[in-house]
Amino acid sequence: MVTINRPMFDPQEFDTFGCHPFENDPSTPDRIARQVYVERQVSSWNVNMKDGSQLQFWGFKDPTISGSDSPWPSKIIRVKQGQIFHCMFKPSKGAHTIHWHGIEPTPMNDGVGHTSFEVKSSYTYQWCAHQAGTYLYHCHKNTVLHFEMGMYGVLIIDPVTKSPDTNNPNYLYDPLPGDSAPGITAGAPYSAESILVFDDVDPRWHTLDHNAGMCGDDVGLDKFNPKYFLINGVHNGRTQTDAKTVTKATAGWNVMLRIANASYSRLHVTLPFNCYIVEVDGRPLRTNPAKGWFSSPKYMAAGSKLEVGVAQRYAIWVPKIAAGSHSITGNFHHWITNNKHADGTAIAKINAA
Amino acid sequence: MRRREFIKYGSALAAFTTASMSLPSLLSAQIAEEVPTGEEADFDLEIVDVDVELIDGSTVPMYAFCHAGQTPTIPGPILRVKQGSTVRIDVRNSSTRSHGFQIMGQDAAITAIAPHEGDGEDKIRIEFTATRPGSYLYVDGDNAPINRVLGLYGAFIVEPTNGFADAARQKPMPYAPAAATPAIKSLFSALGEATIGGQPARFPGKAWRPGREYIWIFNQIDPVLCRRIAAGENPTASEFQAQFHPRYFTINGLCGLDSAHDKATCPTGRVGEPALIRTMNAGLATHSPHIHGNHVFVLTESNNNGVPVYQESLNEHDVWTMQPMKTKDVLLPFTAPPDVPPAPWRMVQEKYPLRYPMHCHNEISQTSAGGSYPMGLVTDWHIDGPL
Repeated sequence: MVTINRPMFDPQEFDTFGCHPFENDPSTPDRIARQVYVERQVSSWNVNMKDGSQLQFWGFKDPTISGSDSPWPSKIIRVKQGQIFHCMFKPSKGAHTIHWHGIEPTPMNDGVGHTSFEVKSSYTYQWCAHQAGTYLYHCHKNTVLHFEMGMYGVLIIDPVTKSPDTNNPNYLYDPLPGDSAPGITAGAPYSAESILVFDDVDPRWHTLDHNAGMCGDDVGLDKFNPKYFLINGVHNGRTQTDAKTVTKATAGWNVMLRIANASYSRLHVTLPFNCYIVEVDGRPLRTNPAKGWFSSPKYMAAGSKLEVGVAQRYAIWVPKIAAGSHSITGNFHHWITNNKHADGTAIAKINAA
Repeated sequence: MRRREFIKYGSALAAFTTASMSLPSLLSAQIAEEVPTGEEADFDLEIVDVDVELIDGSTVPMYAFCHAGQTPTIPGPILRVKQGSTVRIDVRNSSTRSHGFQIMGQDAAITAIAPHEGDGEDKIRIEFTATRPGSYLYVDGDNAPINRVLGLYGAFIVEPTNGFADAARQKPMPYAPAAATPAIKSLFSALGEATIGGQPARFPGKAWRPGREYIWIFNQIDPVLCRRIAAGENPTASEFQAQFHPRYFTINGLCGLDSAHDKATCPTGRVGEPALIRTMNAGLATHSPHIHGNHVFVLTESNNNGVPVYQESLNEHDVWTMQPMKTKDVLLPFTAPPDVPPAPWRMVQEKYPLRYPMHCHNEISQTSAGGSYPMGLVTDWHIDGPL
């Protein structure tokens, strides 16, 4: 029988690609004056699960907050489009990185070990987001484990301008002359905002070491059996009442719903109101050939289902939300069988009055 | 089933799920002829049993396509034709088991090709007219999804005969102008423009050129099931799907460092050299490919029959979902990374090439054999130099 052999490889490069990525503490290349500065440190938390058990999660805390620890999941970062951003990052418990998910800086500031370096003790990331939208930040070392362990947070790039509509003063993005976005008000102005990050948890993984499996060990990272289902770090027994997952809105005004999938499941979301998808992965849906944009908002009637891929983000604009309690339902399905996981439903609320 | 048959099925019968499940009805619909001798085949394919060496040095038994008598590969050879052409494909089965051949979304399917007797003459011909330009998966549709997942898949590409978004301005595109959407034509017309309306444009550099493309086919490998089937077991489709537990996750048959180094997989080029990437998922897992450095425009998405649907809205994604059997053409614009500081800032200390990864963000796929991050479904892409 014929054997299809692997290509030839350099053992040393094999090692640095996987087992021993390059670790360093360089100065930020081509560094310029910053307009926004944040700090992040690696930390860990014990988080309550639905059955009363506690699991260890890792993440990024803000060391500039004195007297109290930052929450898990990691604190949201909001930056305005066009600002020069610096984040001074200090890992602990070995090397880590921050990847600014959806932001596209130089490789040194992209936070990926095998294409640049992992941070040994300190590095200042630099970038300048050119487009308002919805992003994430997360650790990109042994990512299979570190992302599951909760090393992520929401990153929002806000537009520069404000809407003239005093009821709905916030734009999702700056509308420009020449934009066409049929069905919506340009810029998707909103008053209230619901930001929902869906996650699933396999408790076995939360007992593993930071470097588990990296050097060829079989530590079972091919076996993911989620038992707990969360939104914004809140287990699904409390997501319909917890302040982190229930948003208050004014009936008749517009709402922005941002959804991200930080799980390892297929996430099927049911939308309870007539709405529009107005942004995907940090890119507003609009046509403006002079700018190189060729997309359009998508209308979603109440009851529509939306599959949010792993690590995708969607911004959904709800014009003139009706009074009432609106349930945003996320169903977590197995990534191979597409069968729904046991207890794999998490529901967040938007209460409009 | 008799050997030396030329079989052509109606398109309604070409859906992959029906091929092994309703064989009697398919057979009743067949048009069987002797292999015509007058016309040479465009492609002479052979199906063989192979051992595949994986990223960790272990080997698993699988199946593979090859050009007859040549070295087998997983995925199989790229089959590239022109829209409207008559395509003749001969398939012979040198495996120990019965196999089939089917192009999803095209009027082309053969089932139950028995293992040949070694005289080299046993082959079955399929003949059809290539339709809508785009990217298609060809598979062994028999015993679905088992034979496909065990290695019998590849890319069938239909190129337009006159693919121009704007012929006067020499703006090619990989689709026919009569069928492409206004958004697709607008995008391909904008590529290579330094200015639009007197203002700096988004895509300075070159227009897209035919041949400036890559193919990424995803799959997953369960070594236990591969070995059990090679040892003679015959699980049903539902048993296979229920027991499927992949331990290796491949792009173009490769993992990790191997795919990052593979010239046919790793896109390279300078700023202003946009590349088409034809992405396909031959496996059973839903992948979420995530690209760093540039977003991609999703140009086409296959429908349930495997036919590419040209998109009206060209959404830009850094993650695009790839359900089983899905094909999507995406355009990697090869712009400068957009979130570097604006001029007068210049990249001086950091040097080209700029290397970025593309990996599935369902990170389970970033492992092999239960660990070894990132030796899974990942590759790199490089920006080799400025505009």
